[in-house]
Amino acid sequence: MKNFLKLTNFELNRFSKIYITLIGLTLVMQTIGMILLSSSYMSDVEEQLAMGNSMEWITINLGTFSFSSLTRTFWFGGPIIIAIVTLLIYVFFIWYRDWFGKNTFIYRLLMIPTARINLFFAKASTIFLMVLGLISLQLVFILLENELLKILVSDAFREDQSLKQIIFNFDYMGVLYPNSIIQFFINYGIGFMAVFVTFTGILFERCYRLKGILFGILFAGVSLLIFISPILLQVTILNEFFYPIEIFILMAITGLVVISGSIWMSHYLLNKKIRV
Amino acid sequence: MNIKLNSRDPVYIQVIRYFKEQIATGILEPGQEIASRRELANKLKINPNTAQRAYKEMEEQGLIFTEGNLPSRITKDEVIIKHVREELILEAVNTFIASIQSINVSLEEAVELIKKNYHKNPNEQEGNQ
Amino acid sequence: MIEVKDITKKFGRKKVLNGVSFTANKGEITCLIGINGVGKTTILNAIMNLTPINSGEVLIDGEKIHKESYEKITFIPDAITMLPQMRIADAMQFMADFYQSWNQVRADELLSFFKLDPNDRISSLSKGNTAKVNMLLGLALDVDYLLMDEPFSGIDIFSREQIADVFTSHLVEDRGVVITTHEISDIEHLIDKAVILNDGVVLREFNAEDVRENEGKSIIDVMREVYQA
Repeated sequence: MKNFLKLTNFELNRFSKIYITLIGLTLVMQTIGMILLSSSYMSDVEEQLAMGNSMEWITINLGTFSFSSLTRTFWFGGPIIIAIVTLLIYVFFIWYRDWFGKNTFIYRLLMIPTARINLFFAKASTIFLMVLGLISLQLVFILLENELLKILVSDAFREDQSLKQIIFNFDYMGVLYPNSIIQFFINYGIGFMAVFVTFTGILFERCYRLKGILFGILFAGVSLLIFISPILLQVTILNEFFYPIEIFILMAITGLVVISGSIWMSHYLLNKKIRV
Repeated sequence: MNIKLNSRDPVYIQVIRYFKEQIATGILEPGQEIASRRELANKLKINPNTAQRAYKEMEEQGLIFTEGNLPSRITKDEVIIKHVREELILEAVNTFIASIQSINVSLEEAVELIKKNYHKNPNEQEGNQ
Repeated sequence: MIEVKDITKKFGRKKVLNGVSFTANKGEITCLIGINGVGKTTILNAIMNLTPINSGEVLIDGEKIHKESYEKITFIPDAITMLPQMRIADAMQFMADFYQSWNQVRADELLSFFKLDPNDRISSLSKGNTAKVNMLLGLALDVDYLLMDEPFSGIDIFSREQIADVFTSHLVEDRGVVITTHEISDIEHLIDKAVILNDGVVLREFNAEDVRENEGKSIIDVMREVYQA
């Protein structure tokens, strides 16, 4: 356990530069976006006021300014997409970087006097913590940017939104910030399960190289089949036999089966088949 | 230390021979402290186990002695030291005889040549090939 | 004692190790000799469970390798196993964090012996100094067995001499050392035991002093003999 924590800490530190860059990029781009959009809106408003139009006329014809005016633009969504793509790439890179170059760090990692599955858990935890960290920081940023909005746009032209409205008004944020705690566990459970299965696939490749890619894809395919087997049964032979809640429970079970299978397989590969 | 090891003779024997020469020429004096096996191994760049074996062998031959945990010393036994000297001289002479006999040099001629050349190369008297 | 028992290893269809057996004792320096590509590194990797073998087994003091074994046996590969952006001090901290057998006193001693600056980044070191750091990280572990892959290859003569000095010092005293080399002449007098490999098999395993004493042959003589047979 102590070694697992040390390894996780080590992995987090290794990614910290890129991670801090991602956080900085998000904050800077979203703030700049907010300033640019709101000032261009306000200058439009002032132009209209100078032309003698009434405030009502302006709010009807130009519309009011709300946080959603920002979230619909690349200034807001861009850094989120960049962060998601970076983390997706890092799911692979977190393993492959240990084999790269002449200084192959994987020698050292595999010779640490600890269960090798701890490497797997440490890398997985690193990804999870990074994702959850970005998600929660983004919430803080939204609140901060909302305060900024209140300074930049005067009350008359501003439509204040609650955090919930901001998220609700922005489609793919609904996936990142689900409405209910159950939905949260479903979304992130599936996400983390996918990370586990991908890790096992990577280990297959690392153990068997070219042939391993095939094994990895096969493993992922079988995992997917197991996971969605309740739905497959439901729509085929069972003919809508289960209630939705039963499907949910069954899929929670098959999800756990997939995760355990992935951990067991990775444990086996790391101990018996891995090569430097 | 100035010793050139060859790779065909057992290293421990080469080490013992080196010590015998030092004893015979008086560079190592009776009762003088000698390097530990570790220091010797380090100086000669040889395996410490080999240095250990050389010391053990020398101890058995009475060339060195060890009291308790103190460093080993060169023997004070005059008889042994004399014997070492004789052994080395005899060995060198035998080698010399063998090589001049192989080219058919007579004893008289050899003695004459020794007398003539003995003082020419005083630095090359050491017995290593 | 490290016992390598009849191990075989295939890369695809190519047999790299074809039934290799030998032993390496504690307190001795055992040298695996063979030309490049003969499978020396693979043997060390197999001992450390860093590559799977197709058959045979490796025992360390009678046990198969397990996670605690890495406190007892360590491997110094031919390239450094730390991240290039680390300082030497970071690398030492990493070792101290994960190994109970890490001996900081000895690490500091080695630092001054090799004249290394702990604030230097690994990526900025010369080849010779990189090799020394690599050695340091292994030697500062209080382990019974040390495996070293080609510790003398590709570095300057002075670094080589310094590293050779390690073998005659207390730093390897009473430990079992296994080193590989394709160039024996530098270390002929340093080793206890030679294991000559070719084509994935052990051609001969012998004690160097015994062969000099009983057969009047150098290690290279024996190599010439077995390779030409």
